[in-house]
Amino acid sequence: MSHGAATVRARPDMGGPALAGVRRAVARLTLPVLLLLPALIIIVGLIGYPLARTIWLSFTETRLGDLIDGSGEWVGLENYGEIFADEHLRTSLINTVVFGSACVVGTMVFGFAVALLLNQRLRGNLLFSVAVLLPWAVPALAASAIWRWLFDDRYGFVNWALVNLGFSSFQDYAWFADRQSAYVAIFVTVVWQSFPFVALSLLAGLQTLPQETLHAAAVDGATAWQRFRLVTLPLLRPIVAVLVVFSTIWDFKIFDQIYVMAQGVPDRAADTAAVTAYRESFALGHYGTGSAIAVVLFAILLVFSILYVRLIGREGRA
Amino acid sequence: MTWLLRRGWMYASMLAVSAFSLFPVYWVLITSLKPRSEIYTRTPDLWPSDPQWHEYPRVLGEGHVGRALLNSLVVAGATTFVCLIVGAMAAYALTRFEIPFKRVLMMLVLMTQMFPLVVLVIPLFVIMRNADLLGTYAGLIVAYLAFTVPLAVWVMRGFLVGIPDELEHAARTDGATRLGAMWRVILPLAAPGLATTAVLCFLEGWKEFMLALTFMNEESRKTLPVVIQSFVGRGDTDWGAIMAASVIYTLPVVVVFVLLRRHLMQGTTAGAVKG
Repeated sequence: MSHGAATVRARPDMGGPALAGVRRAVARLTLPVLLLLPALIIIVGLIGYPLARTIWLSFTETRLGDLIDGSGEWVGLENYGEIFADEHLRTSLINTVVFGSACVVGTMVFGFAVALLLNQRLRGNLLFSVAVLLPWAVPALAASAIWRWLFDDRYGFVNWALVNLGFSSFQDYAWFADRQSAYVAIFVTVVWQSFPFVALSLLAGLQTLPQETLHAAAVDGATAWQRFRLVTLPLLRPIVAVLVVFSTIWDFKIFDQIYVMAQGVPDRAADTAAVTAYRESFALGHYGTGSAIAVVLFAILLVFSILYVRLIGREGRA
Repeated sequence: MTWLLRRGWMYASMLAVSAFSLFPVYWVLITSLKPRSEIYTRTPDLWPSDPQWHEYPRVLGEGHVGRALLNSLVVAGATTFVCLIVGAMAAYALTRFEIPFKRVLMMLVLMTQMFPLVVLVIPLFVIMRNADLLGTYAGLIVAYLAFTVPLAVWVMRGFLVGIPDELEHAARTDGATRLGAMWRVILPLAAPGLATTAVLCFLEGWKEFMLALTFMNEESRKTLPVVIQSFVGRGDTDWGAIMAASVIYTLPVVVVFVLLRRHLMQGTTAGAVKG
């Protein structure tokens, strides 16, 4: 009798280890999963789903009416074909790459110069670093309004200053009347806003450099330029790489500055991909085409994002 | 002599860079204080001869800027509040538990920060429209969570990793529950991290323009960037009003930045945020 009871009691234990293991795993994961759940729902619902939906829309012909009930007609790659066939759409992508790259180069070069200057620890360095920090704090939209005013054709400070410096052709010069000059103004705005981040990040890097190596190079007779090129730059390469990739992502997707400052340029010739995707959708009602442009921009940025994540991952492990 | 030449050149550069940084901000300030006749002139004064504050009460009242300021505060504030709770929970889970695919998860979180918002805006618009949330605070706040929650998770994880597990273990051997330990031991230590995260999330909500432009059509619901943009677009542009509104919009951010610059640098280098 007692023997039988023992077998009965033993039975759950037979399949026990595996089952208990699963149960323990579930118990162990319940709390973390519950804690993660709200963030996961937000990321999946507000990023994952919209992203998939935009990709789907990019293969459809969708107008405002279709958009709400999701009844757009499937047109395959037609929207993508249109991007390359339509001059305005194609130009907006080229603008993004060319103007964005120019901004990256401008920001990096200027940012690096300012970082080296900050690293000299001149008198008044603290005030200088606060001054450098300031433009970073100005929201993109305010910066766009501010520089739009500085570059105003009739009452703007820039034209007044240029005329007074002897460039009289800048009297009433209309910066936003064509693409090139509009881009000069927007370039200045973008660099103004982005160089502080680059400069302060590089300064942090410069301060970790081994002073002995730089000193030794100086003792060996290396000029300042040689020290920079042969010692400083190679040592700072990891952080420079991160900043270049990061700035590229940032400058390729700028929206606010272009939306505000390029709106007066004839034929909207200075619009970049983000603005064109937006306007094509919400101003013209071509949600399919707009989505296709957004997806192309996304694809370009995805390459850089993967690069960025790998660079950060490498730094994190080091 | 060479010393003077070398250093002099550096000081000159320092002054030039400072002028480039500061002058636009200064120019905005004085434009907002000038009477109309001094704004619309071919020979602008570098110093307002007769500074006047009347532009500020004017834009705050009739220019909808006062209302927009309130809207911006509500939206950015509520976004921050939700972000802190959701972000802290997720970051705690990611640092204190063995979770499968943790690394992949973190990389995904980081990558969401790189997405161009324009790739999300159309479906978000449809979601909010179908939920009848277009033009409401709630709609904009929920949409803002899309990019602020990943940011909060990433930044807060960076801070929580630095708090040793042992402290929590000690509290729990002393009889505290997991929640109690989290509340009484981890939270106070994580306070600087929470504050940094809060500031970063608030700024994201404060600065966001595209979604606000799309969702908030009613004048009484527009946020500050949308109102300023609508001023710039007008035929005869009222620069005095725009500059006053820009000052109101920018000033809080500048104050926060200058006060918290060290913490923000820390948070941003970890969190990959800019501007």
